[in-house]
Amino acid sequence: MAVVVAGISHNGAALAVREKIAYRGPELLSTLGALRADAGTREAVLLSTCNRTEFYVVEGDTDAVPAIWNALSARLGEEASGYGYVRRDRDAIAHLFRVASGLDSMVLGEAQIIGQVRDAWAACRPESGAILNRLFQSSLLVAGRVRSETAIGRGAASVSSAALQLARQIFGSLAGRRAMVLGAGEMAELALECLVNEGVRAAIVANRTYERAQELARRHGALAMHYDECWASLHEVDVLLCSTAAPRPVVTLDRVKPAVAGRRDRPLCILDIAVPRDVEPNVASIDNVFLYDLDDLRAVVTNNVERRRDELPTAEELIASEVERFWQWLAGLAAVPVLTRFRGEMDRVRERELATALRQLDHLSESDRAVVERLSRSLMNKFLHGPTVRLRAAAANGRGLGIVDAVRYLFGLDAAANSESPSDEDHHHDLI
Amino acid sequence: MIAIAHFVAISLYIGAAALAATPFARPVGAPVRGVIALLAGGVLMHALALVLFARAVGAVPLTGLGPALSFAGFVLAATLLTVELLAQEVSLTLVAGPLAALPTTFANVIGLTPGAEPPGVRGIWLFAHIALSFVGIAAFATAAAAGTMYLIERRELKSRRFGAIFRFFPPLATLDRVNHVAAIAGWLGLTLGVVLAGAYSIAYREMNLPQLMWGTGAWVAVSGIAIGRVIGGWQARRAAVYSSITFIAILVLYVAIRVAGPAAGKFL
Repeated sequence: MAVVVAGISHNGAALAVREKIAYRGPELLSTLGALRADAGTREAVLLSTCNRTEFYVVEGDTDAVPAIWNALSARLGEEASGYGYVRRDRDAIAHLFRVASGLDSMVLGEAQIIGQVRDAWAACRPESGAILNRLFQSSLLVAGRVRSETAIGRGAASVSSAALQLARQIFGSLAGRRAMVLGAGEMAELALECLVNEGVRAAIVANRTYERAQELARRHGALAMHYDECWASLHEVDVLLCSTAAPRPVVTLDRVKPAVAGRRDRPLCILDIAVPRDVEPNVASIDNVFLYDLDDLRAVVTNNVERRRDELPTAEELIASEVERFWQWLAGLAAVPVLTRFRGEMDRVRERELATALRQLDHLSESDRAVVERLSRSLMNKFLHGPTVRLRAAAANGRGLGIVDAVRYLFGLDAAANSESPSDEDHHHDLI
Repeated sequence: MIAIAHFVAISLYIGAAALAATPFARPVGAPVRGVIALLAGGVLMHALALVLFARAVGAVPLTGLGPALSFAGFVLAATLLTVELLAQEVSLTLVAGPLAALPTTFANVIGLTPGAEPPGVRGIWLFAHIALSFVGIAAFATAAAAGTMYLIERRELKSRRFGAIFRFFPPLATLDRVNHVAAIAGWLGLTLGVVLAGAYSIAYREMNLPQLMWGTGAWVAVSGIAIGRVIGGWQARRAAVYSSITFIAILVLYVAIRVAGPAAGKFL
């Protein structure tokens, strides 16, 4: 009943590899169905994002990993195992908890992965079962704890979100604020998208092509303006985002000073993400003007990422304790069917020996035979009571799997199960 | 028992301020519920202390320097708690927590000796005057605390330092709003307090010059901010600077009057 994860992620494979092995939603169940048929997996979930493709499986009697690599290799067109990794049992559980918490993400602590894990689990529910359901549910809870109890997800981790973080630190909510975007290039569009998502009313100004500004404005529900007209409107703006390709500063002290005077005491946030810079540095000296350039935004990102890294030990500690908790549950789960089988086997031996003894004692009355049978039952229960209690206790404190294996070996339970009982799987499904 | 309740309240105020400062030690947000719970505990213990005092001496804790200072600390903490419950923002505790603990500690150091209390209607006038004035001063202190935090954070943002203050102080706009609301509340409280004091002085022909000087000074200061904000359109840095400086000036004036004024013992 091993829990295994095998897959490929951004840690070992370039985008060119990852994009070939990415699975789309409709493919998930058929892929897992094929894996079940091929490797006899009991449960499986396939997590496929732009940064990783991972199979989480509960193995049956055979090793599922070769079948997983075969599936991935066929998709990739070359041997996939060289790019990937395999984790088993505790390591597999820890891996999923780290993935869901964003500790294994390209951008440390990013939150998007939680939704992706949840979606993958939901999409694969028909192929999942008691163990993986519990594992994925736990991973989402662990991710929630990691995010709330550590600072792993705090602060912006990209330039555009750092720009938003700075603007929010000045204005609080940006909903209803006015923004002006100078430039209509790719960076300007990205920043504009972020601002519009925050509820900002935006105006676009293109310093060269008005048509481009109009096109961009139409796409994002903004207003296009001519370059010459924009300075007169600057006093109405809370956030000025500059991203032109101008070779020298276009936002000068002479242009900003009158605008700020018209704003009375209201602050103006200027975000200059252009290279070379669009804003004269001395604009920062104006009272109530907060000017930030690309270096400042990068400094915010670097600070945030460093702080996130500082939180890694706390997050890992939390994950380790949750892995232990899950492992105890899993080990307890493994002990129950073995105990059932163990007692069943002992009872069969008792019945067989009792029958033999009673055949030799055929002079006994019915009541005497009943006494002998009660004696045999009582003896068996007394013999088994201690081992049963200890096995349950060992499972509860996390040492279960080793002892369970020892019991299986010592009493030949696997052989007994193979010959007589097909119900191991049924047992653990029933017991959860 | 009164002293113990006071001690617990002071400890809880300081504890709340320390908890609000945790982001400076570790990069996680201040535990809002924890800070509010400590502050609420402090306010409850402080209220208990004041009730016990009132029962023990048979007088409300408004006359006499010690009781009045303790009451002032209580009103400040209760105002802070209300603001933080409404805003779910606890960074003001950094400044206002110690500000509430300070007069309470001072009250206990000098002793909770009740002053002479005028009887009947005169007493009611006086209590209303003192209570409203305290509310006004507490709101003024909140405005000053928000203003000081605004100036500190603004300085960090202007100089492009993205440390703990950048990450854990509330946005400038929030601090500005707290300053605005607190300045208006302070003006209302102090205006009513001063009007009641004037009516009381005229009706009973009693005048305390140091009290008049200080009360008028505080009222002029808070009126300046309120008028500046409502009529003059002050915002942001200007309002923050004015409220912080005038509050400090009012504190200095208070100390000066206490040290120099021979009749000062009759009020706070």
